[in-house]
Amino acid sequence: MSILELENVTKTFDGVRAVDDASVGFDKGKITALIGPNGAGKTTIFNLISGFLRPDAGTIHYREKDISGLVPWDIAHMGIGRLFQDVRLFDRMVVMDNVLTAFKKQKGESVLMSVIARWKVIKEEQSLKSQAMRFLEFVGLTEKAEELAENLSYGQQKLLSIARLLAADSDVLLLDEPTAGVSPQMIGPILDVIRKLAREGKTLVVIEHNMNVVIEIANWVYFMDEGQVVSFGLPNEVLGDPEVRAAYIGL
Amino acid sequence: MNYLLHLLTMINIYAILALSLNLLVGYTGLLSLSHAAFYGIGAYISTLLMINLGFTFLPSLFLAIIGAILLSFMISIPSLRLKGDYFVLASLGFQIIVFTILYNWIDVTRGPYGIPGIPRPNIGGIKIESIASYSIFSGIIAVICVVLFYFIGDSPFGRVLKAIREDEISAAALGKNIPQFKIKVFAIAAGFAAVSGVLFAGYMQYIDPTSFTLMESVFILSIIIIGGTGNISGPLFGTILMIILPEILRFLRIPDTVAPNVRQIIYGILIIVIMRFQPQGLSGEYRFE
Repeated sequence: MSILELENVTKTFDGVRAVDDASVGFDKGKITALIGPNGAGKTTIFNLISGFLRPDAGTIHYREKDISGLVPWDIAHMGIGRLFQDVRLFDRMVVMDNVLTAFKKQKGESVLMSVIARWKVIKEEQSLKSQAMRFLEFVGLTEKAEELAENLSYGQQKLLSIARLLAADSDVLLLDEPTAGVSPQMIGPILDVIRKLAREGKTLVVIEHNMNVVIEIANWVYFMDEGQVVSFGLPNEVLGDPEVRAAYIGL
Repeated sequence: MNYLLHLLTMINIYAILALSLNLLVGYTGLLSLSHAAFYGIGAYISTLLMINLGFTFLPSLFLAIIGAILLSFMISIPSLRLKGDYFVLASLGFQIIVFTILYNWIDVTRGPYGIPGIPRPNIGGIKIESIASYSIFSGIIAVICVVLFYFIGDSPFGRVLKAIREDEISAAALGKNIPQFKIKVFAIAAGFAAVSGVLFAGYMQYIDPTSFTLMESVFILSIIIIGGTGNISGPLFGTILMIILPEILRFLRIPDTVAPNVRQIIYGILIIVIMRFQPQGLSGEYRFE
């Protein structure tokens, strides 16, 4: 039984079936790759899971609870986090504040608390800062803590985005092209972080175009084309499938 | 001396206006043109309560704040889905509606005739009568407000507001309930604007709708654009500059007939120069782009 499961999900935009009767499942502690040509519906799957889109048909279950149609912040609170393709950091905030924002249920997010019980908020803030430092250490960004997010390299920005998801206490991480556009020497560290997270029992779903990366990290692979799941299996099986090769990879 | 104390009182009143608008514009990234409306709502609610129902200062201040907060929901809830320019237009609409009501609902507001004879505040038997005592009184309230603005802006709540300014979608994906934060910050800003309105009415002892026009909203906005947004010092600096500047122009011996126009031209030039060369304002944190 997968921790996150989409059953017969369909999403249509102006008559185009962006996701067409797709059923996919993601396992705890595993890295699952979603591959396929542009427009195959991979990012739409992420938008459906994280609540930015509602499915037209089908169900999405997380820990056996139906989450289809919930708003994004409720889904985030249940432990599903997302790295956007274009990262979407809080650019003009420092790295530390980017991570601190992500913590859930902060007392200081209440206006009343921050005004009448400021000392409590300050105390909470100190403990959150040390936790945030641990997540920054995990992704190797401790020295950048006071740097503005917009001044980081693209690879560092992706790592910061992952640190933010950890601060948000995400159990499922939806990573939309975590290595795309990143300088070659940063790809290794990003993949290391992804593998470490899987070993810690997180559920990772990765949209990836680089087949070497898929073979290197994925436990399971879904191949999508025109909104449908065409093939599923171990990386070597899926990438060896003649249909997949013909439709997409052109190896 | 009274002249300087008058300026000090005006700075106190406008500092609260500028800092509260800053919560919307500088922190949350919501450009609002309805701030003078909430300023006027505060002034009118307290005035009507004091004149018609004999309320004293503090209860009418309290009810003016509550009234402005409730009315803020009328704009914040329907315009939650609006972004950027469309939100600006919605706030513009609200500003015009409020002004029109103040101007035309003559039975209640006396419309263009205004309401004279507003009593000076009387707090626990201490009457704030002279210009000097009013400058101290408004100063105390302004300082309390500045401390509150600092606490709000410097808190995790303020950090979420900045996150919404930077990237609303990303903040939602991290579990922040965006509509809730926007409604709250709008209510807070409206409540503080009402405080300014109450102080203004008690000081002038006369109000009419022309103090709460769209131009007034634009003026408050230009204070924080020139001074800077996203922190405390920017709006404070802008307030002092924009209140003192026209007074300095007085000494340039510009004829009275053209002085207001010259002032408008100077404001305009100032905004253009600032936006071109110092987009974060003179002392702000957040850069308009």
